[in-house]
This record gives sequence, structure tokens and C-alpha cells, in this order.
Amino acid sequence: MERQEAIDILAEGRGDAISVPTMQSVFPWHEAGQGDVLNVDASQCMGSASTLGLGLALARPDRKVMVLDGDGSLLMQLGSLVSIVESSPPNLYHFVFGNGLNQSTGNQPLPAQGVFDWVALAKAAGYKHAMRIAQAEDLIEQLPAIWALEGPVLIELEIAREEGPARWAGVPMAKQVASLKAQLAAS
Amino acid sequence: MTTAEPVAFGVAADAIAAEIDALGITHVICVPDTFQRTIIARWEAGTTPRLVKVCTEDEGVGVNAGLYMGGQNPMMCIQNNGIFASINTLKAIALDAKVPTLMMVGHFQRDVTKPIEEQGSRAVHMLEPTLDAWGIPYWRVEGPQDIGAFRAAYERSRADLGPAVIIIGAPTV
Repeated sequence: MERQEAIDILAEGRGDAISVPTMQSVFPWHEAGQGDVLNVDASQCMGSASTLGLGLALARPDRKVMVLDGDGSLLMQLGSLVSIVESSPPNLYHFVFGNGLNQSTGNQPLPAQGVFDWVALAKAAGYKHAMRIAQAEDLIEQLPAIWALEGPVLIELEIAREEGPARWAGVPMAKQVASLKAQLAAS
Repeated sequence: MTTAEPVAFGVAADAIAAEIDALGITHVICVPDTFQRTIIARWEAGTTPRLVKVCTEDEGVGVNAGLYMGGQNPMMCIQNNGIFASINTLKAIALDAKVPTLMMVGHFQRDVTKPIEEQGSRAVHMLEPTLDAWGIPYWRVEGPQDIGAFRAAYERSRADLGPAVIIIGAPTV
């Protein structure tokens, strides 16, 4: 599926979940109107989306937390799969946008692309559920059932290669941290 | 033959735990450290604060930030090598994103018979210059007399919305 399709489907189905996008999902997530409410971008800290989500999920067990990770990003903190399982927050939904590329730096292929398997890695780490979704219509159909699963859940989304320069939302993370903290304190 | 006398002394886990409890810390995010074995064991055996075990210090900085945004009052427990390993994340989250990040940092490989300035281990003698380079404030705990460092560092991290380091200079007892 195209990244934009996945973003639009997740935005439509987000509900009141806290969101943590990173890298090339940040800009379209903001364009889809999801950047201002209950959101923090993992900016300038490639690999940290999963652990920001873990901390939020532990802090607010009453809310779902959705991480919009990248495959290249998650490889930078691959051990976070195990750290997430150590705490096993039932409210953590880990979407991995998998295009097999380091898109932000010019679409360089990831190491061992086509060999490693996110679903197998997540299951081996101990995630409660892990699945791969390739088509947009399947994501639309399966998303309600995914939200009903007990986490941690990893959903690999097969994302098509995109061309063109990297795009950035440019919102300072400090502003988002303060805003999200205030929003959560009030809710 | 003479035996070198220590210049740094371990602080009791009970005393550290009391300080941490008094600060209202809710979660301790931990990557194991040789110098802090007794306090880690104490937290592991108890329920408050909650011990959150992670694989790397990078991960710890992210979890700390998530807990903070969610209204909790977390801190980290790592070793000196973990500072070196997590500089990019400290830069982006603790410093740039202005997240209070209190870190107890064990001085792995520190020779307790010598002052910090005379240490041969690069892990030890490069820690403070590294923190200075990044403008990260730190407090030395060289014995029970330095117990006030915990509150001082905590208050600094919360006032500055940034990192603050407590350097544990001898194995806790």
C-alpha cells in the first residue's frame, strides 16, 4: 500500500489514541490533521518512537497508544521489542511502516532486506500479537479487530517505495512534549 | 606492603531508597550497573518505585520521556558507559525536547582508592568532560555525606526541564 493510504486509514480509525509517529510518517500525519492533539513526533532521535510509546503506555494505561514506526528506525533500537515485552503494556499498538529502505536519507536499502521478518521478530520477542498487512483494503477491514486485541501488538504495513525528497513537519519536539503533557493532565 | 585506603565510600541502598521515595519518584528505568547492584536489587524486590527494565540507555531516555509526558515522575539508573552510548538520544530528547531526565550513573571501573582526577579508566575520567561538553549538570556521590546530591539533581532536572546526573562513585552497600 502507499504510505498515504496507510496514514489516512490510521487517522480515520485512530479514535482518542495517543500517537507517536517518526521519520517519513510525521509529515503526512500532520497533513492528515493528527499532529496537534495527543501526539508527539519522535524527531531527531531516530529509533526512539517505540520507547516513547512504551513510556506513554505505561503512564496512561487508560488510553491506547499507537506508534507509527519505520523499519529503519526500529532497527536502530531493535532491543526495544524486548523492552516492550518486559513491561507488556496491553494498550500499545506498534505499526511498522515497512518499505525496506532508509527513505529519509535517500532510499538506501536496509541491511538484510528481504531476509529478516518483522512478524517473526515480534513474536520471538514475545509480543502478544504480530501480523503483516500488505493491502489498504485489508488494513481498513482489520483495524477494528486490531484495536480489540490485547497488546503489545506489532502490525507490519507493507509500504511501497516513494521517490522525492524527505519531508519534515518541522514542529519542535519541545513544544509537542509540553503540549501532550498538558493535554494528558487535563484528560 | 601497604594497602591503599579508599577515598570514596558506598552509600547504603536504604539511604538512597529513602531519598528517592522522598522525591516521589514513580518509576526507575534501569539498565544494569555493577556499582548500583544493591539498590537495583532493592527496587527489583519491591513495588515502589516501579522498576522498568530496558535493554539500552537510548531506550531508557525514550521511556523516561513517555512516562513524564503521561504525568509520572520517573528517573533512570545506568552506568557511565551508558552516557557515552546514548548521547544522540540525550541530545534530542533530554536537551532539545526539554524532558526532565534524572540519571543515577554508576562509575564502572572507578578505583575507589583514587580521586576521580587520577583515574586510569577512560570510562571514568572522560565522563565529567563529556557531561561538561554537553552542558549537563552533575553531582558526585563519593560517600554518605553526599546524599543531598539526589535532591539537588532532581530539583535541577525539573527546574531546567533537562538532564541531571548523579555520579555514584563507589559501589552501593
